[in-house]
Amino acid sequence: MTAKFDRRSVLKLGGGMLAASALLPHQAFAQQTAINYWHTFTSQSEAAGLQAVLDLFKAAHPDVAVTPENIPNPEFMAKITAAVVGGSRPNVTMVSSERFEDLLAMGALSDMTDRIAGWERRGDFDDKRFASITKDGKTYGVPGFTFVDWGYYRKDWFDEAGLAAPTTYDEFRDAAIKLTDASKGRFGFGLRGGPGGQNFVVNVIEAFGSPVKKEDGTIGLDRDIVVKALDWYAGLLVKDKAVPPSAANDGFQQVISGFQTGQTAMIWHHTGSYQDIASKLKPGVEFGTFAMPAGPATRVARLAYAYNCITNDENADAAWEWIKFWGEPDAAVAFLEKTGYMPASTVAAQDQRIVGNPMYKAAADTLGFGIPQPSFPGAAGWAQNTVLPALQQILIGQATPDQAADQIIEGLAAAIA
Amino acid sequence: MSRGRAMAALPPPRSTWDAINPLRLLGELSETRYWMYLLLLPSALLITAIVLFPTVYGFQLSFTEMRLNRPAGNGAFVGLKHYQRMLADPIFWLSLRNTAVWVTFSILIEFVVGLVAALALNRNLWGGKVLAVLILVPYFLPNVVAGNMWALMLDSRVGVINDILVNIGLLQEYKAWFADPNTAMATAIFVEAWHSFPFFTLLIMAGLKGIPTDLYKAADIDGAGAFAQLRLITLPMLRTIIAAAVILRVIGLVNSPDLLLILTQGGPGRSTQVLSLYAFQNAYSDFNFGYAGALSVVMFVLLMLFAWAYIRLSKVNQD
Repeated sequence: MTAKFDRRSVLKLGGGMLAASALLPHQAFAQQTAINYWHTFTSQSEAAGLQAVLDLFKAAHPDVAVTPENIPNPEFMAKITAAVVGGSRPNVTMVSSERFEDLLAMGALSDMTDRIAGWERRGDFDDKRFASITKDGKTYGVPGFTFVDWGYYRKDWFDEAGLAAPTTYDEFRDAAIKLTDASKGRFGFGLRGGPGGQNFVVNVIEAFGSPVKKEDGTIGLDRDIVVKALDWYAGLLVKDKAVPPSAANDGFQQVISGFQTGQTAMIWHHTGSYQDIASKLKPGVEFGTFAMPAGPATRVARLAYAYNCITNDENADAAWEWIKFWGEPDAAVAFLEKTGYMPASTVAAQDQRIVGNPMYKAAADTLGFGIPQPSFPGAAGWAQNTVLPALQQILIGQATPDQAADQIIEGLAAAIA
Repeated sequence: MSRGRAMAALPPPRSTWDAINPLRLLGELSETRYWMYLLLLPSALLITAIVLFPTVYGFQLSFTEMRLNRPAGNGAFVGLKHYQRMLADPIFWLSLRNTAVWVTFSILIEFVVGLVAALALNRNLWGGKVLAVLILVPYFLPNVVAGNMWALMLDSRVGVINDILVNIGLLQEYKAWFADPNTAMATAIFVEAWHSFPFFTLLIMAGLKGIPTDLYKAADIDGAGAFAQLRLITLPMLRTIIAAAVILRVIGLVNSPDLLLILTQGGPGRSTQVLSLYAFQNAYSDFNFGYAGALSVVMFVLLMLFAWAYIRLSKVNQD
């Protein structure tokens, strides 16, 4: 049977639908503001953490739809540069401290000073939390969470060898040597000599007593100290053989899996890998955490922040709602519980779920003495393209610490020229 | 009949409107010799926009100061500064040498394996069609997937390749392939060849279908063996296709850093640093687009020279 519609019945149907639509709840027609969020989360635990925050945000702000977009860390700067130059910026971007200066210089970030000043939770954050995202009195982001540098150690192996978690570089090296047994494929330390390992080299250099830059902006690297630092750090592989031979290419995945699978006794990372490690090893029994040990001159542990920044003035109010939501204690703790990343908010960091957990003590201690990474335009590129290859060349026997130190200092001079 | 005469044959305008009617004017224009240029105009504009402009801009960039994290001096003409720096830059020369190794050995392996695969598939063996699809699978994988997959399989802790090699006695212990400068480049070339040899297979197979079977029958009668037929019939008949495939792959290998970016990031200690990766790092880590532009121009010139020399040497133009 074929249905027949004449003009009159079509008009009646249309009128009826229009009337019915007017009776539907107003909310069905409420316009959602859509924003996209570029982030560099990669691991399963980080994805779960982000989802937890998204779920809480969705319940609290049904009028804002956040579309998260994962940008792998190695590609991040290329993508954001292309987006800025090409005019296709995301609404909100996660910016790590070390990238702030470069992104600010290329005009990627919007000034958020007034919004932050008027924010009801501004008082929950220590002023220092904003230092790495502030320049010339203007603030360009809100810390979403904190990267707290610390170490993981195999507690069961340490207990077996009668060792305590290291507090100094000497203790650290001794433990690494004692716990190395190449015949069992066991090494004392999982040195990250591959992608992402550059920041630890800079930390060791500073711990030996040489800042990267002086306060007046000139080069602070002292060649003799840099040589000593490189000799000590690379020496863990080259001389002490306390590091897996794969170190020169070991990035995040390799270092973490080396620890999880029982190849290494200690690794350096930040609290963000806690849940990944706890998924394979029993906290407090098989592994423990320690604050970064003190070097010969000073103790260097980085407190870096993942800032959420407005990178597109379109839908800026909705973007601000999303950014400030990360400062809510419930969101911060939900994220911590899925990942291990510490809250940036002082109030959230005092939550009983954090201070009551002994595994987080090392991170809580580090919040007291940790320092931010050196930050200047070109810092990230120098560390990645000069410092890391120089370390690798020592690790594979292509350069001496002296030669590597020269490369590092010359590279810094070129970077800040 | 000439076009001029055809125009003259058109009826004169019947009114003022008729004289300015765009459709009528267009009709008149279509009868002139300028019509073909008008038809070519959209394509010419498109090519100018998407090919010529970026190329010229790239050249211009190489003579310009352009550091995105140093906006103050950006845009200033600096002449040959970047090229002078390049001549004194040891990393540039190392990258150039590594690029030559990376491209030469990758192409050689891809061509030989691709040729063997194409010859085998061309024999119409049982299951050949399924095999042809399977052989093409690596080429369909994005570089990122292929790179991460091989990085995992070659991992010195959990990698299945190490496991197999140790179990069959070829290795005493697990090897960190990408951490040893003696094996990093070779291993990366192996991964690249695995990923891209199907490109040669595909093109050579297409070429093989076009070779008349009579030639092989005649060669058989003349007593030529399989190798002689390959040398005297197959390869010469495939010369144009092989030349095109080699040029396209060389361009791809010289320009694309993504596989090395995933596997080694140029390490360990720059032992797999190639020009494209160096240009990428200069652009997106150091934000020095001027120097990166100069590196890209050098790559462009080298590729043009290679293509010209290769076409001349392979005598493709004589076909």
